[in-house]
Amino acid sequence: MKSFFTFTHKLVVSILFCSFLFLFSSPVSAQQASNYVSNVSYETAIEGQNLTIKADLLQTSNIANITLAYKTFGQTEFVKREMEIVAMGAEVTIPAEDVTVPYLEYYLIIELRDGSIETYPYGIPDEGSPQQISVRALSQKDKEILLLSPARGELVTLSDLFISISLIKAPDSIDKAATKIFLDGNDITSMALFAGDLIIFYADNFPDAVSYGMHSLKVEVFNQDGTVYHTINSDFKLVTTEYAEAVGKQFVYSGNVKGESRSEVYGDESTWYNNINANVNASYSNWNFEGNAYITSEEDSKLQPMNRFSATVKTDWMSLKVGDSYPRYPTLIMDGKRIRGISGRVELGAFNIQASYGESLRKVDGTLLETIASSETNSLLSSDVIAIDSIKYGNPYGKVELGTYSRQIFALRPSFGSGEVYQLGFSYLHGIDDINSVEFATNPEENAVLGTDFILRLDDQRITFSGQAAISISNSNIADGSLTDAQIDSVFGPGSLYDVDPEDVKTIRDIIEPFMTVNQFLGPLNPQEFASVAGEGAIALNYFNNNFKAKYIYRGNEYNSFGQDYLRTDVAGINITDRVRLLDNKLFFSFGYENLEDNLQNTKIATTTYKTFNTSVSIFPRANFPNITLAYTNYNNQNGIKLTSADSLYVVDDATNRFMAQLSYDLVAGIKHNASLSFITSSRDDKGYYNSDASNTSVSLSVNSYWDKDLTSFVSLVYYASDISYKMLDTTTVITTDYMDANSEYNYTSFSIGGRYRLLDNKLELTASISPSFGDFERQAFDFVGQYFVLENLSLILQARLYRIPNESTNSIIGLTTRVNF
Amino acid sequence: MKRKLFYTVVILAGIIAVGALWAYNKPADTPVALIKKVVQDVTYKKADMEDWEDAKVGIPLNDGEEVKTGFRSLALVLFTDGSGILRVRENSILHIYGEKQEKSLDKNTFIEQGKVGFEVSKQDEDEEFKFTTPTVVASIRGTEGLIYVTTGATNFYLHRGSAFLQATMGSQQSGTIGANQVVTIDSTGNMNIIEATQQNMDDFTQSLQVETEKVKIETDTHKLEIEYFPPE
Repeated sequence: MKSFFTFTHKLVVSILFCSFLFLFSSPVSAQQASNYVSNVSYETAIEGQNLTIKADLLQTSNIANITLAYKTFGQTEFVKREMEIVAMGAEVTIPAEDVTVPYLEYYLIIELRDGSIETYPYGIPDEGSPQQISVRALSQKDKEILLLSPARGELVTLSDLFISISLIKAPDSIDKAATKIFLDGNDITSMALFAGDLIIFYADNFPDAVSYGMHSLKVEVFNQDGTVYHTINSDFKLVTTEYAEAVGKQFVYSGNVKGESRSEVYGDESTWYNNINANVNASYSNWNFEGNAYITSEEDSKLQPMNRFSATVKTDWMSLKVGDSYPRYPTLIMDGKRIRGISGRVELGAFNIQASYGESLRKVDGTLLETIASSETNSLLSSDVIAIDSIKYGNPYGKVELGTYSRQIFALRPSFGSGEVYQLGFSYLHGIDDINSVEFATNPEENAVLGTDFILRLDDQRITFSGQAAISISNSNIADGSLTDAQIDSVFGPGSLYDVDPEDVKTIRDIIEPFMTVNQFLGPLNPQEFASVAGEGAIALNYFNNNFKAKYIYRGNEYNSFGQDYLRTDVAGINITDRVRLLDNKLFFSFGYENLEDNLQNTKIATTTYKTFNTSVSIFPRANFPNITLAYTNYNNQNGIKLTSADSLYVVDDATNRFMAQLSYDLVAGIKHNASLSFITSSRDDKGYYNSDASNTSVSLSVNSYWDKDLTSFVSLVYYASDISYKMLDTTTVITTDYMDANSEYNYTSFSIGGRYRLLDNKLELTASISPSFGDFERQAFDFVGQYFVLENLSLILQARLYRIPNESTNSIIGLTTRVNF
Repeated sequence: MKRKLFYTVVILAGIIAVGALWAYNKPADTPVALIKKVVQDVTYKKADMEDWEDAKVGIPLNDGEEVKTGFRSLALVLFTDGSGILRVRENSILHIYGEKQEKSLDKNTFIEQGKVGFEVSKQDEDEEFKFTTPTVVASIRGTEGLIYVTTGATNFYLHRGSAFLQATMGSQQSGTIGANQVVTIDSTGNMNIIEATQQNMDDFTQSLQVETEKVKIETDTHKLEIEYFPPE
């Protein structure tokens, strides 16, 4: 009972304290209005380190898949990666090379089972703005204060254990003798030896100071004035000699199995979900094995797979994955698309090869709704009416619910050179729909892409030339196979539709046919205009604290790869960025300019020019002062058509200004707090026919407070306001084509407060939060998560979420998860 | 004469006093490296020691000190500026040299004999990392590889990165070696850089092995444990 009162007291004090700290908001959590996503969270983004984005879902029953779209500062387009949906969450990791200062922009694309799309934050790109994640530069202090031994996470025996900190690279302003070493929170500095710039703690001399098991290590380095200069945290595991031998020599494995049963009540609809998730890791010598399986009751043969499974074996020079994988080739070819099959690579340095083969789309049977006689000509024009087996069904046509063909993808990339200095690669991708996989579907497709890529790094990697180019060929309907000789003779030749020698056509068909089905649906129709060509070349320079990059891109309007669903086509132009690091990585200036044009093959009424200018300044003072990022972006799109012209409906003439400010601050005010403030405002001035002006402002602030090792509290506040103008049909006049100006406002405020408390000697962890939203988005949400460790490796997790939408419904999600580690 | 003597004494006393003061305030020497792991017969010798002493984990190595490994033995040596780690294989003798600059450490490792695997992180512009053997000096920045010093010759294999080599004898040829290349430098000073063979790569992979084998014999009254390093 006492601990309960302590908890309550601390929570109340936390709330009061946080109300004073209205200046800041959490950098690691974003909560916007959404019907499907309750929260997006991530760890502190640090330059050059992988960043995992996690989305907590309000409900999964209507979600087919979720994709993360993100881009770095100055990048032309959003990179899109499918998120793994597991239970009530979805996550994906942004690779380290894409995590660069000053910030990342992201949003989520939620594809629903009825085919509709919703984004998080809502309404991107027309109404909403993407979220920003400030990326912290790797602190110079991390390079100055070195923990030599033990390495982070190292397994070490007592005889091999010594703790060593090197201050060789530390500045003169620090007081080396004042350095403190904490082992599991206990100050062990007095047991350490100071030898010049080196501090060493020999565990052998104090065998009672370290017990077997996991240990946390903290080193605090102080300035001459007594203030903390830098703190490093690490951990290691002290094991017995026998255990270390087993790890070093034998087949070692670990893993976990997680089973969840969950009930979702949404309005009048109640659904039970059951799923099991198992992960196994094993190693022998320098070989590693990984196995993952996720089996869910949501699996439905009428939909694309929800189950996931994979097995991987890898070592220094090769990897092989069977099951679901997300292989990455040059971005024009395939980049993170899920395939179910086999994927692997061999890397020998001078020569490397990567290959993938598998199913990217599972067959989904269609349904015959009704048969249609050939005399019913009006019905035949409908897109869901297809030819069917008249002997089997009595009529030659049928109205169907269209199915999906199974699609197989094969990709191959041999490359030369390790990439450290140079690498030259050649890629080939072929994708084809299996026309026999389902009965009721239409327009099976085929696609082939041939590409090359290179990278050349000079002057110790300060100069990098890189580039890639690819050409695609696609067939939009392979149902009837390649053209026969008779078909060619009937269409080509003197006096026929095309005055081309039929023999030449047959020769070309015979050359292409081993790779592609050759018929009238083969494209592009205008290859001489580079319609299906895509390429880019870039130079990156790293001199005088400048990271300069200039890139030219070209993507024809018909470029298409089955391995890359999200590539923006029909665009060409330049992109220039420069990031300047000043004051020992404390100050960053970033500039970006992009000028792109579409209509490369003159397929549009006019050419639109897309100009983007962005700049930002980031300050990481490494002192008792907030980290600050300020950014400004201007988008300007024009196609030159005048409002007074006959084509006024097609006018593109809009400009958007976006300002962003983010502050984050780790401060000690009695206890440690992590706080930050985020402010984004965007305003679009549309001078086009529809006058779609839009403005939105988002302010979010929160504070995480660390009361002690058992109690953490958090509070956040989000304010969002948008105002969108548009034209709507004027129903007050008799003229049905008259439009009138209208506008729509959408404002809400969302507040969230909660805490996390560990008790019973860390066996029980309770997390609870209340999140009411007011305004145009009304919702009251209550979240509770209780995790109890029955044994060290066995835990039970009770998750309950209750959210009420006033005057609509009260919904709940209650789930119980059992997790076993081994 | 007396005055000269007086001045001489004063100047000498001044020099001694300044020297003593400097010595008193001189910061303690910062070790250049630490012994991170010891397997079997590893000894070390400090500048003021005549005999080799058994090495223990965590022993700091200062400028000019030496490490020696015996039959089927191994020492892992960690540089204190975090710049890299050396795997000193069996029957090797290694001299560690280091000079602290403003905020950096210039390292030079003299391999008298034996086999040393190295993993060196990228050095800052104002830092040096050198390997010296009886026949060659290698300047490296961010590399990984294996050096094998036999009587009169050095075999240098690079797994990644690049290194500049300067022969110290004979024709004193020089050149840059890249990833997956190997070069042998003998007393003629000639340098012939060639692509590494599978054997070279296998040797390197083998050199990464730092775990030992143990045989335990247990009776009702006694336990016998034999630890040995697997044959290379």
